Amino acid sequence: MLHIDIPSRKEVIEKAKSEGKKIAAIYPIHYPRELFRSFNIQPIEVWGPPKTDTKKANAHLQSYICSVVQSGLAFYLEKQLDIADIIAVPHSCDSLQGLGSIFKDFINPKHELITIYLPREKNKENVEFLSNELKRIYKQLSEFCGFSPSSEKLMEEIKKEEEIDEIVDKLYRIRENLPLSSRGFYAILRSREYLSPDEFKSKLEYILLHASKGRLKKTGVVFSGLLPEPMEIFDIIDEMDCFVAMDDMACCMRRVYGKGNSDDPFERMAERIVNGPPDPTKGNSFNERFGFLKSLIEISGAKGIVFYNVKFCEPEYFYHPILKEKLSKAGIKSLIIETDINEPISQQTITRIKAFTEMLRENEQ
Amino acid sequence: MEKVKSIGIDAGSTTLKIVGVEEEGKILFSVIEDADPKIEEQTDKLLGELRNNYDIENSKIVATGYGSNLIKADKKVTEITCHAKGIYEYFKTGGTAVDIGGQDNKVILISKNGKVVDFIMNDKCASGTGRFLENTSWRLKISTEKMAELAISSDNEVKISSTCAVFAESEVISQLSRGQKLEHVIKGLHRAMVKRITSMVYAIGFNPPLMLSGGVAKNKAVAQMLEEELGEKPLIPENPQIMGAFGAALIGLSE
Amino acid sequence: MNLRDSIKYLFSYKIAGETFIKLNTKKAFKNFKPPKSWRTDILAPPLKTGVYTKEIIAKHYLEGRYVNGVKPVAWVTSGAPIEILKALGFYILYPENHGALCGARKAALEISEEAEKKGYSMDICSYARTDIGSILSKKTPVGKLPKPDLLLCCTNICQTVLYWYRVLAEYYKVPLIVIDTPFVYDEAKEHDIEYVKKQLEASIDVSEMVAKKSLSFTKLKEIVKLSKMAAELWLEIMSSNKNIPSPISVFDQFIHMAPIVEKRGDAVTVDFYSKMLKEIKERIKNGIGAVKNEKKRVLWDNLPIWYKIKFLSEFLAEHGVSVVASTYTNAWGELAPMMDIERPIESMARTYTYPILNRGTGHKLKTMEMMVKEFDLDGAILHSDRSCKPYSVGQVDQRLKLLNELGAAALLLEADHNDPRAFSDEQSKSRLKAFVEMME
Repeated sequence: MLHIDIPSRKEVIEKAKSEGKKIAAIYPIHYPRELFRSFNIQPIEVWGPPKTDTKKANAHLQSYICSVVQSGLAFYLEKQLDIADIIAVPHSCDSLQGLGSIFKDFINPKHELITIYLPREKNKENVEFLSNELKRIYKQLSEFCGFSPSSEKLMEEIKKEEEIDEIVDKLYRIRENLPLSSRGFYAILRSREYLSPDEFKSKLEYILLHASKGRLKKTGVVFSGLLPEPMEIFDIIDEMDCFVAMDDMACCMRRVYGKGNSDDPFERMAERIVNGPPDPTKGNSFNERFGFLKSLIEISGAKGIVFYNVKFCEPEYFYHPILKEKLSKAGIKSLIIETDINEPISQQTITRIKAFTEMLRENEQ
Repeated sequence: MEKVKSIGIDAGSTTLKIVGVEEEGKILFSVIEDADPKIEEQTDKLLGELRNNYDIENSKIVATGYGSNLIKADKKVTEITCHAKGIYEYFKTGGTAVDIGGQDNKVILISKNGKVVDFIMNDKCASGTGRFLENTSWRLKISTEKMAELAISSDNEVKISSTCAVFAESEVISQLSRGQKLEHVIKGLHRAMVKRITSMVYAIGFNPPLMLSGGVAKNKAVAQMLEEELGEKPLIPENPQIMGAFGAALIGLSE
Repeated sequence: MNLRDSIKYLFSYKIAGETFIKLNTKKAFKNFKPPKSWRTDILAPPLKTGVYTKEIIAKHYLEGRYVNGVKPVAWVTSGAPIEILKALGFYILYPENHGALCGARKAALEISEEAEKKGYSMDICSYARTDIGSILSKKTPVGKLPKPDLLLCCTNICQTVLYWYRVLAEYYKVPLIVIDTPFVYDEAKEHDIEYVKKQLEASIDVSEMVAKKSLSFTKLKEIVKLSKMAAELWLEIMSSNKNIPSPISVFDQFIHMAPIVEKRGDAVTVDFYSKMLKEIKERIKNGIGAVKNEKKRVLWDNLPIWYKIKFLSEFLAEHGVSVVASTYTNAWGELAPMMDIERPIESMARTYTYPILNRGTGHKLKTMEMMVKEFDLDGAILHSDRSCKPYSVGQVDQRLKLLNELGAAALLLEADHNDPRAFSDEQSKSRLKAFVEMME
């Protein structure tokens, strides 16, 4: 198995700071990395983090708010984001909407606070709206940073991201030729949450170099949900002689955007996000989501889908029953698992994953 | 001494079950004991005792259940696969298997040829599991068997609405303190539990026959209410608790 | 239009049904007296005009039973811009209101269990579960719901409706219009309003196609006018509670708000609220308070707990507490001044972007602070609604501010608007008691 060193978030932040960059702490899910980078800002995403003690978040949030938002807020309250200059909260769901609003109205961080509204449907009006929304944020960042990057600079950063998206897409397609455990593969993909584009790209290229002709002789599964936390969940899958062959996760595949068409940088960034892969928080139709999942199965040869859902995540919940039914009609088995990113994986979850893989293998025979 | 071809060990959260089978899959012995935290020692001790009466020198050992990690075995398989196997071989039919254990409920859809088609388990909370009744039994100092009898004989029931095993306990107490009759409350408690199970059965898509396993399958009130809710008389093995271990032993035969 | 359906509609609804309901109302009005279980020792008798609430709602659901094939049917979210649909002659059904009705009649649990059986999580909105359960099982206390020809979902109340309506679109295979309203963290930007306006304009085409006729702007203006008039009256009714003692309680408002939500844009609604306002003014003149021994005045934040209205109303009245204002009922009146009859689409874009639920947590605090001052309140009950995250997030901070900066007693009451399993009588009683003691 290939071993790749990945620097920690802390190391990346320190390095960026020493290079005179500003740091933006960014909550899930969609935002244009390229816009921030044009301002010499390093986006560092805050997905939880898992295994956080969330008791301080109780001073602001009720217990029925999901663990991603709870941890995200607790992490701030524990002063872990003090190193950042900017906090950005995309409007991904009702709970993140609330978090952005509480930040603004009650917590009042010393940071520059940016909220991003994401339009829900895939159409021309929405590209236009998001493009205007990004212009507004550009203006806010210009005022905060004291300069305005040129269109050329924006385009340059956009193209970097587009190129990376293309390589990531390629890696997904040859996943079974890559000498990487599930956890190993996703540790690298997820380092995109905080690495600079150049550093991330060099890791991807290194993997590409080591792609082999031999295939992993294992049963593949597709992982769907917000994020694979705690990451040990992948070890359980690998232990059963299976691997995660493809994903439909908010932190990974759902943000592998296609190329934009427009020559206007704002419109192009908007196009990329609006036309990106289906995502329950965007409210895509069942046909779009089902078609996408089915294509993931076909491309990867995976045998089943694990819906790994963070408890209280309404956008995901609503899709499960009908998707499961549609998949089942198409002969695709699926499993729904509920998780709290701050708790260790329960024995029951382990049993379910194992039984699911046993079932997939039994039916393979 | 009879030769034991394969042994299944089901180390559950409340009890330890061991089943031995000969090469045709016929049960030679079965043992049930309350689970000891030191599962490894407990299994060694039990196997040692069995050695006096059976030839287990070359037996395959398949372990399942929460404690299976601590057991030396040729193979480890999840309870889902084991229960499905055991139930299928016992009744020789596909259908819907419901295993009501101490802390877990499992509903397993089994195909005509005995494969697991789909399964679900209860979420983290313990409502609807055996623990749901045990808590109350302990609190009221009435055995679960007696509670089942009361529930069956009761002509009326009080609605217990809570979804949580802990809250349900306090709701039972407050209903009693409001002067509700004991048997009505207990029947309501059984109903709440059965409703949780039936909603799981529906969620997976009920395919008769209904087959029960696990300790709670012996509870007559639960069986009767499941029949009322699902409109289908459940098939119950003579010894429902050992179905997982039985299935594990059968899996050992094909190793 | 289908001839058989039309004949059935004409006889069963227009002739037999309407006549029967009207006669019933007449009788109820003439022999008006509170229901036997009404606690006349602590509460003023119910509003006499309340018999019309029953009439309007009964007619609405009765029409629904026979309307398929006669009028186009739209299912919409509670904050949806329905004026265009009304002008096109749609029959409009509000699944949320139907959910509330199921809740108030204590049927919601059984119906949502039908959705849970199909795999819908207990952690999704209980209105959505009630609605989906009702579709899957056909269970409803109103007999039968009409099938939709069109779905209209506006995100100005939550994002949840977006996923929920996707489910509906999947079950019914009919067009879904999404009006996506950018969340207003402080003030709406020009491009936000422009975006909503464009979506409203685009929705006209789809609605016309389903209705098989074109929109008349004269008609639209008329509907907007009626909508505005009803909302203004509703606002005035709520404001009348500034009087001490308050003539009606928020629990009464929860019941009598059904027409302003469900029949907004109808002449009958304007007429109804005019009558109600008259009766309320009469009460004020006679010094009648909704709670007989009004000692403390409080506000209610968030959705009602539909299955516990009577319980809460009586428990609080027993302790001399009158709930006189609420951010929830206020939401259907506060935007009335924004409606501009001469510029219907533009003003709709703005109005429908600005509901309290689409605005920041600080704005809601300001609204509550204003209520505390204007209604002369002693405290606030903030219903922490497990099912409604956008309404509930922020309450922990809001409660503290009300307590520390205004000195108002403030209670966070954990429950759920439609799922009785999330409510514990005993626990709530002890919390409410402590809250009452805090005000003393």
